[in-house]
Amino acid sequence: AAEPWPENAALYQQLKEEQILLSDNASSLAVQAFLQMCNLPIRVVCRANAEYMSPSGKVPFIHVGNQVVSELGPIVQFVKAKGHSLSDGLDEVQKAEMKAYMELVNNMLLTAELYLQWCDDVTVEEITHPRYGSPYPWPLNRILSYQKQWEVRRKMKAIGWAGKTLAQVLEDVDQCCQALSQRLGTQPYFFNKQPTELDALVFGHLFTILTTQLTTDELSEKVKNCSNLTAFCRRIEQQYFEGHDKDSSATVTARSAKRSLLR
Amino acid sequence: PQSLLQAYAKFSGAPLTVNTINNSWRAPKGDVPVLISEDIVISQPAKILNFLRKQKYNADYELSAKQGADTLAYIALLEEKLLPALLHTFWVEAENYCSVTKPWFASRIPFPLSLYLPGKMSREALNRILLTRGGPPLYSFTEVEAQIYRDAKECLNLLSKRLGTSQFFFGDTPTTLDAFVFGFLAPIYKVCFPRVQLQEHLKQLPNLCRFCDDVLTCYFRLTVSGHSPAGQDTADANLQKLTQLVNKESNLIEKMDDNLRKSPQHPPRKLTTLKLAAGGEESSPLNRLSP
Repeated sequence: AAEPWPENAALYQQLKEEQILLSDNASSLAVQAFLQMCNLPIRVVCRANAEYMSPSGKVPFIHVGNQVVSELGPIVQFVKAKGHSLSDGLDEVQKAEMKAYMELVNNMLLTAELYLQWCDDVTVEEITHPRYGSPYPWPLNRILSYQKQWEVRRKMKAIGWAGKTLAQVLEDVDQCCQALSQRLGTQPYFFNKQPTELDALVFGHLFTILTTQLTTDELSEKVKNCSNLTAFCRRIEQQYFEGHDKDSSATVTARSAKRSLLR
Repeated sequence: PQSLLQAYAKFSGAPLTVNTINNSWRAPKGDVPVLISEDIVISQPAKILNFLRKQKYNADYELSAKQGADTLAYIALLEEKLLPALLHTFWVEAENYCSVTKPWFASRIPFPLSLYLPGKMSREALNRILLTRGGPPLYSFTEVEAQIYRDAKECLNLLSKRLGTSQFFFGDTPTTLDAFVFGFLAPIYKVCFPRVQLQEHLKQLPNLCRFCDDVLTCYFRLTVSGHSPAGQDTADANLQKLTQLVNKESNLIEKMDDNLRKSPQHPPRKLTTLKLAAGGEESSPLNRLSP
């Protein structure tokens, strides 16, 4: 039996203005979009130690009733157990496709974002280090920052991305955007009329890439090259995020991210 | 990766001579497989595929752009969900590693490399699994193992649903995606391990088994009944026939799709011989074919 969704469900992420990074912002926005699409109210709570509070070490995580669930995959399953699902109308082959595309986004876009944030020296110096440890005093901020960087670089090495240059990573992003653009075509959502978790995930990543100011504009250029993807982002923003005056709206997040990332 | 590349080469009709190298050190940077064409040396599977495509040996030109996008997505799915379990089955699972993978590998490469290289590959595989999948809330390695096998079985189920009843993933002609899937599934399907939970799951999906058998019979000329108790004999016979095949360019032209010849992208051209250096698992009869 489906339990009702409580009123005080909360989504935790890092501090929006000063601390949150591109990849975490994307993941958080994806979850927010997904919950909006399911019509489940949630409020966004920003905490400096959100990463440490999370059961899996990753943000965002949601606190619903007395349960804590982190990351989009488990959250989708959790929401499904409560009786809400966006992908019930899909047949088996479409579900397989949806999962495959979600893996593509995770594999390429998320990894590229992580690479840019933690392995590209310019970005690391100018943006990531100052932001990541900003709520903490020196020297803790530098230590945490370096620790995280070492962790991410280890993972990149294990999957073979450490040897890639920035140009190659951008090329991969381009390929991924082209693939998403081809799949979307002229439809409003990836599986025609109804949005699914794939739409939420793609929106989260692409919107964040488009609206976050980094040291170069190359990443957002790759997305802008595909006009149907930018139209897709705008459509979802208008439908699910505008008209909400709460802090959780994507537009506010985007504006503040823009402001605070100006260097 | 070797079977993936050989399958792709077969599908796209590129003439390849498979050379065995017994010493993985001879491959630049110790990576196998390595493609050597004239003077260019390329070592990773994805780059090798790109290279083959640029040389106009393309198995995908018939696909629509959307199907090309689907290909990328499914490849990402394979790498993310199936690869950890595959690595685990071959390199990390203690019984499998000690009784099959290590002796097989070590017997083909010379001492003292045979002492060092299998261990290194095993450690790298474990490292990769732990770094990409091992974070909290999975705290013990058995939990990680359970999770990766669950993911792998789900991935196999998804592939099976996507394949349905058609012969290949995009209709009647094989494409890059078929090569990738074959490259991942064939080792699971054919190699006989003591611990075989993935193989058993695969055998429950008849259309995937049929897919592997089809590719093997059509493109590798191996009869399904030639399944010997030791997995490596099958692979050996497989590769022996493969190299006999690749040496005859006319056979390869037969293997090429008819459309490949008719397509304006592929004007008749002199086929340059590409040498594909494969890893040490291949059998010694092949040595007489290498220069």
